Amino acid sequence: MSSQPRTLQILNFVSGLLLAAAAWMSLGYAPTERVMGAVQRVFYFHVATAWVGMLGFIVAAVAGVIFLVTGNLKWDKIGLAAVEISLAFFFIAIVLGSIWARPIWGTWWTWEPRLTTAAILEMVYLAYLLLRQGVEDPERRARFGAVYTLLGGISVPVTFVSIRLFRTIHPVVIMGGNPNAQGGFSMETSMLQTMLFCIFAFSVIFVTLFWHRLRLGDLAEKVEQLKLKLIQ
Amino acid sequence: MDNKRPSSSYFQAVLAVAWKDLAAELRSRELLSAMLVFALLVILIFNFSLELDKEARENVTAGVLWTTFAFAGTLGLNRSMAVEKDRGCLDGLLLAPVDRSAIYFGKAISNLAFMLLVEIIVLPVYSILYTSVSTMRLFTPAFLGVTLLGSIGYVAVGTLLASMAVQSRTRDVMLPILLFPVIVPVLVASVQASRAILQALEMSEVMAWVNLLIVYDVIFIALAFMVFDYVVEE
Amino acid sequence: MEPTPNTLNYMLSGYTIFAVVFFGYIISLISRWKNLRAEEKMLDEMEKNSSSNSTASPL
Repeated sequence: MSSQPRTLQILNFVSGLLLAAAAWMSLGYAPTERVMGAVQRVFYFHVATAWVGMLGFIVAAVAGVIFLVTGNLKWDKIGLAAVEISLAFFFIAIVLGSIWARPIWGTWWTWEPRLTTAAILEMVYLAYLLLRQGVEDPERRARFGAVYTLLGGISVPVTFVSIRLFRTIHPVVIMGGNPNAQGGFSMETSMLQTMLFCIFAFSVIFVTLFWHRLRLGDLAEKVEQLKLKLIQ
Repeated sequence: MDNKRPSSSYFQAVLAVAWKDLAAELRSRELLSAMLVFALLVILIFNFSLELDKEARENVTAGVLWTTFAFAGTLGLNRSMAVEKDRGCLDGLLLAPVDRSAIYFGKAISNLAFMLLVEIIVLPVYSILYTSVSTMRLFTPAFLGVTLLGSIGYVAVGTLLASMAVQSRTRDVMLPILLFPVIVPVLVASVQASRAILQALEMSEVMAWVNLLIVYDVIFIALAFMVFDYVVEE
Repeated sequence: MEPTPNTLNYMLSGYTIFAVVFFGYIISLISRWKNLRAEEKMLDEMEKNSSSNSTASPL
């Protein structure tokens, strides 16, 4: 149980390289954007981490459904791992998005659909983790988790739609400027390359972290079973 | 008894569960009075904490009302499920030879009834406290319809989540934490539709929100129906 | 054309936060792993002790 499989060790190494490469591309290779300056560079990691967050979100929702259907606890571990990683990555994405917006919009936060939905999604994740903490029986804990992931998985897109609708009717006017301004900028080829590479790099990083988190889950389950056995 | 069609015994079970709660509440009136007092307190607090002129208050009415309903609703949901757990009724109900979802619908109906009762009392009180042209529209069919649709969505999800929350260690605190992130579309749509009605805006705007509410209600009632079994399994 | 604004500080704080959360999560994974391994070892020893006790003379 203790030593990592060869493939995982290789993944660790590759992920580290990819992270370094992504950082180099974002900080050095990509040109400085004219209108926003240096802060635009956070965009690459912002998109990539948001992408990873989305992956985790989908994996969690699907894993929840599969668990309810099959009853196999391995899917619960998968769902938990996905939620945790998605929580961390979406947090980064939100913060980077906020930082990116600040110099342009003059505000740290704006109730625009994607940011708001992301914040609500984080709250769903936190509620999920709190719910799990409050249930002792592993099987019930898994069931509740799966049900809540399913509810969240469906309500969050609906939330996005509802806030979008709200913003269509009441657009945000930022510093008297164009209400549709989203900090858009025209991307040169090298910027596009950087963005795509970051998305790729973080996808690999996601898989690596996910695998590690799954192993952690396996170990946790083993320990819990040992405890139960000894208490009898 | 034996030649009754299954569907009617399901329906009977639903009504039986709903009636059990309603009858109990009619006798004791504990839950309703708690919810009402709470709701009125919330409105009073809003009055003192938001120093609003008449115009600002017009804008804020829908939001204040729905916040009030959302919080009072939590009270109702918590108490309603806690009673089952504490008195062991839930186990008794689960032994009944009927599809578990009947329990869900029965509970949801009684929860909805309580919530609607509170709303029906709060609305006139609010309109008396803040009489104006817009609060007259509180009693239009459109406004009441939106309130009903929103309450249905709220209770559909709330009943399901309350069943989970009551089985966790942190019981009462757990429900709002679980409920509010998931119920955002209901709150947004209800508040916006209500506001549009109160300010006599175009019907098309109201209908956009009403459609969203209907979609949400249908999706989540279906979801809760499919999933309730997993929540009360022993 | 306006000069490009100096938003370097914002960029740096962005990447710093990324690093803190990202590596913080990895560190949390590692430390949770270590704690669980320690618990596992301890529980394994307890199990060995209790089984060796029970295989001792039943008198």
